[in-house]
Formats: sequence, C-alpha cells, structure tokens
Amino acid sequence: MPFLPSTRLMLFMLGSIGLITLPHAWHIPPLLFGFFTLLLLWRLLSVWQPRYLPNRFGVFLLMLLGIGLLYSQQHSVFGRDAGTSLFVVALGLKLLEIHGRRDVYVIVYLAFIVAVTQFLYEESILMALYILLVCGVLLATLITQNSQAPQTLAALKTSAAIILQSLPLALVLFVLFPRLEAPHWSWLDNDTHAKSGLSNTLEPGSIAELSLSPELVFRVKFAGDLPPPAQRYWRGPVYATTDGVSWRAPPVLGRENNPDQPAFTGVTYDYTLMMEPQKQNWVFALEMPTQFGAGLRRNGVYQLITNKNPGDRAEYQLSSSPVYNTGGISKTERRENLQLPGKPSEKIVELVKQLQGRQAGPELFIGNLLQHFRQENFHYTLSPEAMPDKPIETFLFERRAGFCSHYATAFVYLLRVAEIPARVVGGYQGGQINDVGGFLEIRQADAHAWAEAWLEGRGWVRFDPTAAIAPERIERGVNVDLQIASGAVNFSPIQLDAKTLSWLQRGRQLWQSVDYNWQRWIINYDTVNQRAFLQSLGIDNFVKLGYWLLISVAGVGGVLAWRLLRPNLRRQDPALMLYRQFCAKLSKAGIKVDVGDGPKTVAERAKGLRPDLAEAIERITAIYIRLRYQSDTEASDLQVLKKLVASFRV
Amino acid sequence: MDLALDRLLAAANQVILGKQPQIRLAVCCLLARGHLLIEDIPGVGKTTLSHTLARLFGLEYQRIQFTSDILPADIVGSSVFDAHQQLFSFHPGPIFKQMILADEINRATPKAQSALLEAMEERQVTVEGRTYPLPQPFFVIATQNPAHQIGTFPLPESQVDRFLMRIELGYPSRQAERELLSGQPRHVLIDELPVALLPAQLADLQQAADQVYVSSALLDYLQAILAFSRQSTDFASGLSPRAGLGLLAAAKAWALIDKRQAVLPEDMQAVLPAVAGHRLNVGANDSAAIVAPILKHVPVL
Repeated sequence: MPFLPSTRLMLFMLGSIGLITLPHAWHIPPLLFGFFTLLLLWRLLSVWQPRYLPNRFGVFLLMLLGIGLLYSQQHSVFGRDAGTSLFVVALGLKLLEIHGRRDVYVIVYLAFIVAVTQFLYEESILMALYILLVCGVLLATLITQNSQAPQTLAALKTSAAIILQSLPLALVLFVLFPRLEAPHWSWLDNDTHAKSGLSNTLEPGSIAELSLSPELVFRVKFAGDLPPPAQRYWRGPVYATTDGVSWRAPPVLGRENNPDQPAFTGVTYDYTLMMEPQKQNWVFALEMPTQFGAGLRRNGVYQLITNKNPGDRAEYQLSSSPVYNTGGISKTERRENLQLPGKPSEKIVELVKQLQGRQAGPELFIGNLLQHFRQENFHYTLSPEAMPDKPIETFLFERRAGFCSHYATAFVYLLRVAEIPARVVGGYQGGQINDVGGFLEIRQADAHAWAEAWLEGRGWVRFDPTAAIAPERIERGVNVDLQIASGAVNFSPIQLDAKTLSWLQRGRQLWQSVDYNWQRWIINYDTVNQRAFLQSLGIDNFVKLGYWLLISVAGVGGVLAWRLLRPNLRRQDPALMLYRQFCAKLSKAGIKVDVGDGPKTVAERAKGLRPDLAEAIERITAIYIRLRYQSDTEASDLQVLKKLVASFRV
Repeated sequence: MDLALDRLLAAANQVILGKQPQIRLAVCCLLARGHLLIEDIPGVGKTTLSHTLARLFGLEYQRIQFTSDILPADIVGSSVFDAHQQLFSFHPGPIFKQMILADEINRATPKAQSALLEAMEERQVTVEGRTYPLPQPFFVIATQNPAHQIGTFPLPESQVDRFLMRIELGYPSRQAERELLSGQPRHVLIDELPVALLPAQLADLQQAADQVYVSSALLDYLQAILAFSRQSTDFASGLSPRAGLGLLAAAKAWALIDKRQAVLPEDMQAVLPAVAGHRLNVGANDSAAIVAPILKHVPVL
C-alpha cells in the first residue's frame, strides 16, 4: 500500500519548510528563490489536489531546470551562496516526490541543514531565536509523523520539551567542543559588508551625511570610571594632505619610526572596545591609546590599526590616557603638516595677519582664531549648504555656518598659513551610555572631525574648533533620536514627549545590552577565547579535552536519562517513598529486601533477624499497609509513618 | 462465620493429613467461585479431599468417574421416552449436583471433557434445545493424572484456563503417612464429619470475599505481574485478562480466609502458583517453579 502522509502532516511540514527558507529570500538569487517558492506552492496545492503532482518524468525535467538555474545563477556548487542555493533547490525538488516515510525523514533532515546555513549569513540573537523556533516546528513534524494520536498542540509541546532537554547538551558541546574558526573559511565569505563610515578622504560636509545614521560603530565598556564627555575623542584617520577642497589621509603615514615615543601622565582608562563590522581596519581608541593587545598596531599618527578582518565584529582590550605629550616632530612630518595647495588668497593672509598669525606665538594665534570663530557670528549646522569651490574661503567669509569638518579644515588651513604644523583628525566624539549594560554606544552620528596642532614642548595638541562654536555638541553629543523625531535637523529640536522618549530609549538600551552580551559571550567565543577559557579550567591538550567532553556529555546524558526513565518518581505515593527509606535502613543492617518481597514478608524476615526491633518494624509495617493497601487510612498515618521511619535506628 | 471457616479448615486437616496449604487453596478457590483442578498420581488423596470438602460445606456431592468410553450424555443427562405420557422427558445427568468430582478427567475423550467444561463455564446445560440451569453453588473439582501416564487425553490450554486453580497434593510427609497408616480409614472419618458451613453461609462468605478492598497500589502490582508474564521470555504466552480477574478474586478470598479486609501483595503471591502455574505452562507440574521468576522480579514496592 502506498504511503499517504496525512494532510495535517503535510501542512505542518510545508509550513515549517516555508518558515525555514524564508530568511534566505535575502541571500539567494531571486530566480532560485522564486523556483523554490513555486515548488513549495505546487506541493501545497497538491495536498488537496494530488493529481497535480508531477510524475517521475516531470520531476526529472524539473530537476534539469533546477540544475540549469543553479548553474546560470551561481556557476558552482561550492561556497556559501552556491551551496545554500543548492540545498534550497534540492529541498524544493524533494518535496515533489514523497513516496514513503523515508522521504519525509529526508525532507525534514534536509530542512534542518537549510536552517543551519542561515547562520552563515547572520549570527544575531534574533535570527538564532527564529531558527530555534522553526526547528521546534520541524521537530513537531517528526513527532506528528510518528505518534499515534497527533494533536498539534501536544506535538508542539513535546518538541519544546525535546529542545529544552537538548539545551544542556548543546551548552556542553558549545563550551567544550573545539570551535571551528569561521574566518578561515574565507571562500564562504563572499559577502561584502557595504558599511558606511569614515573614509580615507574628508570633504567638508561629508561627515554630515553620517550624522543622521543611528548605525552602531562600536561599543566600549570601561573597567572603572568613564572619562568626562569632553574627553571622549575616539581617534580615527588623520587627514594631512589637502588640495584645497578635500583632505586625504596619506598612505605614507603608515610608517612607525617616530622620533619620540609619546609620554603619558595622569589617569589611565582601561576598557573593552567592541567594533561592529567595518570597511576599514581602523580601531577607534580613546585619545591617546597607551596599551593595546596583540593584533593591533599604532601607526605614526597614533591611530590603531587591526590585522583582523574588519568585516567581523571584534573585541579589543585597550588602555588610554587623555593627558599626553607626543614629543618632537621630524622634518618630513613638519613639511607634510604645513602643506598647502598653492598660495593662500589675499583675504586669508589678511585674516591671519589680523589675528596676529606669525607675530604672536602659535598658542596666542590659536586663541585669537578660536575667539574669532566665537565672536564673528559663526554657526554650527548639521545641514550646511554645498560649497563646491574654494570651500574654505566661502565658509570663512560668506556662509559662516558649517559642520565640524568645515571648522576643522578651515582651522587647520589657517594654522598652516601661519606656519604652525596642523592636521585634521577624524573619528568619533562622545557616545551614549547604555544604562542597562553599563557601556558606551558610539554611532555613526557621533562621527566628528577636529584639529591637531604641533606646539613646541607639547607635541601634538588637540584643538576642537567646533567646541568653540557649539560646546553642546561636545558636551551632550548629537541626539539622533531627537533629530529624527523632530523631523528637522538642527540644534534646537522640537521636544518630543519626554516620557515616550525615555521609554523608547530604555527599550533600545535593553536590547543593545542583550545584543552586546550575545556578541560578547556567544559569537566571540572563538578558538582563541575557547583556548583561554579551557586553559583556565586546566584543559590544555586534546586528550584532556576528550575526557572532559566524554565525562560531561555522559553526565548530562545520564542526568537526562535518569529523569526520563524515572518520570513518576515525584508523583509516587509518599508512603511508598517513606517505606523505601525504611527498607534502605533495613538493608544497611544486613536484612535483605528483594524487589519481589511484600511488606509482611519483609517484616517477618526483619523481625526474625532483629527481634529487638520487632515492635518498631511491626508498627511501621502496619501503618504502611494501612496507607497503601487498606481503605481505612487515617489522616495522621502519613505523619506518624514519617516520624517512625525517621526515628528508626538499626 | 469466621469461626465456622476456621472449624472447617481444622476438620479438613484432621482428615487429610499434612496438606494445610492445599486445603486452604481449595477452600479459597471455592470462596472465589472458581473450579479446582487437582493434578497428581492416583492414590494421594484427591478424592478424599473433594469428598471431605463436600461434606464440610454440606453440598450435594456427585462423583463422576471419567473413562475413555464415557459419553457427554453420561454426564449431562439425556431425554428418555416416557411411555406413560407419550413424551420425551429429560433425565438430568450426574452433573446436576452442587459439587462434582470429575475423577481422572484426562482419561475421557475430548468430546466428553468438553461437555463438562462447557457446563462449568456456562453454569447451565443445554440438551436438545432446552436449557437447564445447574444448581447453586456449583463447584467442580477435577482430578487428572500426570500427562505422561498411559491412556490420557491431556486437557488443552483453552480448557485448563477454565479452572481457577490447579494444585498438586504430593506424597504425604513421613509423620503424616504414619498417622494415616495407624489411624481410622478415611471414609469412616468422612462419614462422621459434621457440616461446618451452611449453603447460605457459603453464599455470604463468597459475597464478603467480593467486597474485600483492593487498593490501586495492589492493582499496580497485579498489572505488573500480568505485564511481566506477557513480556518475559520465560513463558510461551502471558496471562490472559481472565487469569488477571481470577488472580484478583483468589487473592481476595485468600485475604478473607486470613480475616483481613484488604488484599496485600502477599495474598497475591500466595495464590499465584495455583492460579497462574497451569496457565503459563500446561505441561509442567511444579507450579511454584513456574511462577518463581514473577515473584522474584516483579517489584512489590
């Protein structure tokens, strides 16, 4: 007789397969996903109209079509995308030929594999929960297939119980089983994370685009106190070369032989910095980084560079000190940081002279310049007008309204005209404290540009002209929520209902905290972390690891088996449990109690061997028999039995 | 009434020497409304036992000696033409008595055997389309010779199952045999026996046995026994639901004889060899050995 899966089983299975493949819609080519969807719908329709099912030849033709589509879209079956597409197409085709129980098993197992491939694309906690949920439905499919009276709810309950029971084992394997290093499978990683962020070139206004992006760049967890907001400058690329319009971070700055090592004084902040996936291999340390772990190096402009794949999240242990002296400057460096694109215009030379450029000392000139920004009606805006040519002059003399990059570039330009070595530093400023997780979140909106000038005896010193114009930008940071909520981007936002806002903020902070810990403890648990952790447990070789694995898996399995095989232990008669204690005491005294012995038999034997205990034995046996076998039980019997057994001494 | 039962057992023990357990089982079987099969070699007192019980219970007693040429009509009776009334009238056979001793039942042909066994099960006899009820109470004690003896038709499993219990008497002990040899002839003793229990009292006792309390813990044990007998490889086939009912009824009667109002696992264990032995292994004689694995492995606690 041909095997006919029940309608319910089919719906269950098709539903769970649909849910499992759904997230792949974003990963595999639309043509292939469309093909799969078509097959799934075809199969769904055939649940009610079996005559629409294709015959063997039809399936064969569909298979050829599938192979053709796969080849045209992927040209291969290797690699993450092609492999996933192969599995999805195979799953769709297999749906069309269900001739026996075996086929249902094959489909369900294949669906589990497709579920796993999802993690090659996304490792977020939400996706993990989703996949776990869908796997529960798949399990329920198997349960429905195998149980006598399959109730949907009961099947789901059972599958939830199975998943819960498997969790301890999964945990043990997660902690102990050797981690496979995902980045080593570089052939899988054919996805380019197109992330926005700071780039090698800075054009005045370019950071303004970032200022609306709430996208997370990195998170920082301080070991002790947090630095005050005015010191939260997260150092990124240094732009030293300019053509008058854009500023570039020259590649020559990669050299590392600085004349002087920077000297640090004052407090040191220790912190853990977790970078989100980036395009560049920059790590935005708090100015100035003093200590940094392996895998990082500090280049000639004190920027930290990682040698890890910036497309992955990564965690770094860093120390920074906000008070520093970088020491001297080399001739080349001085020349590079005085570079100007041609002669400065009359107007600019005039302005520098007016502010006592070359006559007074550099520090006085800088003070005058900042004073000029403050007094001459300069404004700070997040949406500056475009200044295509001569941006610095346009900004200084006409618009007088700009973004941090306008101020920083103009500031540096003027310093260079006054023959003070200066450069623009990009990075992030500020950050929002996550109350739940106790860490700082730095978003693209916190992107910032400031200036650095080299002063005799002090080395490179940070100057932030933006702080002179809009100190609140530095003190408070850009509040993206407020900006987006108000619909207008400026610095006097419409107040959103404070309660709603704090509620929203609170929710987001909570979520960020969960996400942070997921990343920190689950995703970041890689080969290196595992080795460190296992070594702290004293596991330093594979043989020991093998023993640990064996013992823990056996232990967890044993506990589970014990629980499963003695399910009614707790529901058992309390009288019986007390009597068992009594029997255990007898056994200790050398009075054998066999499984097949009734209470009277036991009592007779015990009395024969220990006549001194006859009275107690008789009382216990009598009450036990009354409780367990007679109808005339008294309410106090159980208590009495409890006391008698407890006080029974052999 | 309890005293009457004690007196009865004591008197029976006077006649059949050294067989207290068997006598007790036989009485228990009667109280549980079951039929009894005694299997042993000739001459160990099977007839004496049944005769004694009949006397003590005050039941009408009839012995039917089964031979290889006995016919069903010789057991249930037949219609005879009455010349006076010009009619066929039914002449009841020897089975229309309260207590039947079916002696050497396995000497008869299967046809005659089945006539008796049908009557035992239905507690009525149907001859030529008319049904005649058998007297109440109706109790059959059948004796059979060991199957290895010459000229026997062993009872098939399906028919052995109709007997609630099978007991073996066995040779008497040396002391009991000495008393037997030196004492009065048994038939004289039996003739002198007083009736210990009136039929109405027997009915009351049977009802009292029905009402002995059975706790769910005990039913668990009973079901464990049944399940074990069905799963164990020691037995060709497990105990039937009828065997389970029989076991329970016998255990209740056993508890009643012990003057208890609730069944204990020990009651179940006491009747288990007699009730289950012949159902689990028809051929073997030693019931205790047959049920030993059950008693050993089925947990009471």
